Amino acid sequence: MSAFFTQLELGPMFRALMRNKIGALLIALQIALTLTIMVNAIFMMQQRSEQMARASGLDEANTFYLSNTVFAQNYNLKTALQQDLQRIRETPGVVDATQINAIPLSGGGWSMSLQTKAGDDIEGTGTAVYMVDEHGINAMGLELIAGENFQNSDIGWREEGSTQWPPKAIITKALAETMFEGDWKNAVGKTVYIDNHQPVQVIGIIKALQAPWNGWNGVERSMLVPQQLDSKGSRFFIRTEPGRRDELMPVIEKMLAESDRGRIIRNVTSMEQTRDESYREHQATNTILLTVIIVLTLITGFGIIGLAMFSINRRTRQIGTRRALGASQWQVMRYFMLENLLISTAGVVLGAAGAVGLNIWLVSTFSMTPLSPVLLVIGVIALLIVGQLAVSYPALVASKISPATATRGRA
Amino acid sequence: MLTMNNISKSFITDDVVTHALRDIQLHVNEGDFVSVTGPSGSGKTTFLNIAGLLETSSSGEYLLDGEDITKLNDSGRSRMRNQKIGFIFQSFNLIPDLNLFDNVDVPLRYRGLNASERKKRIEYHLDQVGLASRMKHLPSQLSGGQQQRVAIARALATSPRFLLADEPTGNLDSQMAQSVMSLLEDINKAGTTILMVTHDPSLAARAKRQIYIKDGHVSELTQKNSNLHLVGEA
Ligand SMILES: Nc1ncnc2c1ncn2[C@@H]1O[C@H](COP(=O)(O)OP(=O)(O)OP(=O)(O)O)[C@@H](O)[C@H]1O
Ligand SMILES: [Mg+2]
Repeated sequence: MSAFFTQLELGPMFRALMRNKIGALLIALQIALTLTIMVNAIFMMQQRSEQMARASGLDEANTFYLSNTVFAQNYNLKTALQQDLQRIRETPGVVDATQINAIPLSGGGWSMSLQTKAGDDIEGTGTAVYMVDEHGINAMGLELIAGENFQNSDIGWREEGSTQWPPKAIITKALAETMFEGDWKNAVGKTVYIDNHQPVQVIGIIKALQAPWNGWNGVERSMLVPQQLDSKGSRFFIRTEPGRRDELMPVIEKMLAESDRGRIIRNVTSMEQTRDESYREHQATNTILLTVIIVLTLITGFGIIGLAMFSINRRTRQIGTRRALGASQWQVMRYFMLENLLISTAGVVLGAAGAVGLNIWLVSTFSMTPLSPVLLVIGVIALLIVGQLAVSYPALVASKISPATATRGRA
Repeated sequence: MLTMNNISKSFITDDVVTHALRDIQLHVNEGDFVSVTGPSGSGKTTFLNIAGLLETSSSGEYLLDGEDITKLNDSGRSRMRNQKIGFIFQSFNLIPDLNLFDNVDVPLRYRGLNASERKKRIEYHLDQVGLASRMKHLPSQLSGGQQQRVAIARALATSPRFLLADEPTGNLDSQMAQSVMSLLEDINKAGTTILMVTHDPSLAARAKRQIYIKDGHVSELTQKNSNLHLVGEA
């Protein structure tokens, strides 16, 4: 055992390295920088992935929506809307449909502020607003976890430009928790105030429904209000039986278009498409971050190969001499792998400090959660492995240097 | 101690075959001091490399200390070099990044000796060559003669049975050469078998036995047909 450690030559190796610091130092710094950037880039990717993984609360796989734009003059919007919704709901394979003012994750929608007391100066809680009828919950595939749904009699018309709000609302659990200090069940039956003074009674709680804006920190806060828009431009939100969405999207588009020539049906879009578009930037950023990590790791790997090749070339005669003095091929190879391990260890220690420092800055500047130590450990291990893989080829080349090099110089 | 039967060595590069050694027959007794001379390119270094297991012969049989070398693999030859053979090179071949202590330590570590044993040997052998006080110095801080003495200390620290030297005085002035030669003679007197390549006829003549290599053939220089030693001596 002690003979084994003797043969590792760690002491002389370290002293020799200290006499040739510059190259080793540069590589150690490069490894440190790579670790710093790598760990934080992975951390940022993770944060995005977590955002993307959040459930919208909708039955995304089986829902789609379309926009209905009326251009005909003397058109009875109210009658036409009821007819359209009825036709859609009667289509075989459709579970339910509703008119809606905004689409979750689409980037565009309405928001209001809710407060627990009436008054101009009272701080409220921001929430997305979705206007639906009593079919809204079923059409979106939401889960009502407390209270009750709207009745048909609750549904009112909202004229264009109106600032009047209906007296009832259903809110998400997240919104209830924010407004009622975590005790979301307590929200049922409570009156909250919208637009500073208008009272609204919370009649139900839904488990989840995301707002239209994925980057908003209140993305989980939404409310449903029982209103239908008396407007020439509106959107229908439709849920189908599982697996029938793609088949029904064109069917319903055609049916609506043909049933009434006074309007056009456009933008037939699935919720899954909307999610993809919503997170396109996230995806792109993650791709860029991943590319940065890969490129940086490759550069570091090639840097290690380059330095090792250079130093092995410089030490050819020395390696031949070591062979002549009794080093086996494996001992020569191991020498260079261990030397790299020493350099890499210095690099990752420095890099770990750098990674934590950069993370502290990121967290305090962009109010993110701090990176997990597990990630740091994984980064350290990954870079040590990269170092060993990179140096293994030059080390193999070194081990093939003939002992005769000692007497003949370079072959 | 050393027996070569029909040892040949040829190098093949770019379709050119160089016959560096041809059918060498040689026996060296334990305790001998053999000098090897010959024109440049005649095969002296090749002969020494094969004798010292730094390269393998193309054909023939080689017994060192009773062991058939041709049957050993690379790591077996490495172990044999470490345990039985010491080397002294024309350009000293000290490791420039290591101080004298660590330089002498190199073969001792390959042998796996413990720290106190290594320290004892290093200090003893550096003291023998008069450089114990400069243990922490780097090779570049030493004169050529001093470097060669460190190299000799390194070669002897493993207590080899067999010492090989390829022009050990080639890079030294004549005074330094004389002192290194005396050192080798002392080592030989203490029982180590020495094989030394040299261009210097006067040094060659001081060996107990002289061989001459020309065009890859080895011949023995007897006292009778060799008056070389009379020529070079001051
Ligand atoms: N690696 C090699 N590849 C090809 N030819 C070689 C190789 N090494 C040696 N030779 C050839 O083998 C022959 C013997 O070389 P060697 O080095 O043994 O000569 P030498 O007697 O030591 O010469 P010198 O006195 O100049 O050192 C020479 O012709 C040389 O060119
Ligand atoms: Mg030579």
